[in-house]
Amino acid sequence: MSQPDSDRSLSESNRRILSALADGDATDSEASRAFQAWRDDADARSSWHTYQLIGDVLRSDDLAVEPAADEAFLVALRARLADEPVVLAPQPRVEAEPVALPAAANASTAAARSRGRWQGPMAMAAGFLAVIGVLNVAGPFKHGSGPQLASNAASAPVLASATSVNNSGVATDPQTIAQSKAAADQLAPYLAAHRQSAISGPFQMPGSDIRNASLVQPAQ
Amino acid sequence: MTMLNPDPDAALVERVKQGDVRAFEMLVVKYQRRIERLIGRMVRDVDLVADIAQETFIRAYRALPQFRAESAFYTWLYRIAVNTAKKALVDMKRDPVMTHTALQGADDDDETYRGGMEPTDGETPEAILASKEIAATVNAAIAALSEDLRQAITLREIEGLSYEEISDVMNCPIGTVRSRIFRAREAIAERLRPLLDTRDGNRW
Repeated sequence: MSQPDSDRSLSESNRRILSALADGDATDSEASRAFQAWRDDADARSSWHTYQLIGDVLRSDDLAVEPAADEAFLVALRARLADEPVVLAPQPRVEAEPVALPAAANASTAAARSRGRWQGPMAMAAGFLAVIGVLNVAGPFKHGSGPQLASNAASAPVLASATSVNNSGVATDPQTIAQSKAAADQLAPYLAAHRQSAISGPFQMPGSDIRNASLVQPAQ
Repeated sequence: MTMLNPDPDAALVERVKQGDVRAFEMLVVKYQRRIERLIGRMVRDVDLVADIAQETFIRAYRALPQFRAESAFYTWLYRIAVNTAKKALVDMKRDPVMTHTALQGADDDDETYRGGMEPTDGETPEAILASKEIAATVNAAIAALSEDLRQAITLREIEGLSYEEISDVMNCPIGTVRSRIFRAREAIAERLRPLLDTRDGNRW
């Protein structure tokens, strides 16, 4: 039985978009349609593979591979990807908000005269804590129910849960723990210096904590 | 234009970052052959090549949220492949058996699961013959294209020019470039189809 004209036309339209997407020339709406086609349309999937194979063979004959081998590779990889947490890149707001993290608030107890000197390290400390928080947010998904947890997290503010997850003691994978430890190690000198500064500030007046807290607010 | 050569994978990468694993599959299909060839030049054990390639893509998937697009996606992926292969070689020297098991990603208590590839038939005489046939068909199809179509797809796939650059070279609108490249691909794909379809006529 032949393919209906409407289906054939749709398939060709999808293939045109896939061809453009392969070269990075698809618009946003076209790209969305291409992703949908990859998901739903076997013809689109096989066309995407064929276009890529053609490009590879044009560049080098030794990249000519039977499609069955490529498909087996993808099938095996899919099985492993199914065990992976869904990838979610931090949203841009995440990097803007660490100023409000406890590190910045605690730093406000430092003597006012050292505030300028610590502004750089404070920003770095907030950055490190943000990294630790994000890593800890990612960690639990690997031990949870995977896609469900991750997809729920998709709509949650990443930073909002950073502190609670950080304090929850949820086990993370060795790589995450190692990364967190490395960040904590980098933070240690700053915290030690900060403690020293807070203790040795002989001119700190009672109640100056409150005044200092206001000083860490943005000038404007 | 802000960049001379914008990353053609930017839309796919962005989609993966939003949680769409299918977009990552499209990147895998795009780069798998090149990554396997790269690893094959570093690792002599043919059976390990596919496993290291799998590990490369898994690592890339995990690290993608940190990808900042300071280089092209493929450059970044290439580096991951090189590092993964180097690590596998070091681990192999230390403990060959454990490395092989680890790369396959199998759980000790799961006898049915095999995360890695089944033994590859990529080196069988039949597979080598099929590969040569595919290469010959693509080259013959290219030779049979009209000059406009051949030039357009050659400038894109071999020279790596963007559509805008091709439109300058060929002195035609970008829409025409896009159409010519699509038609060239379709013409080559038409010739390839009998070789690519599996026994039951379905793929992917």
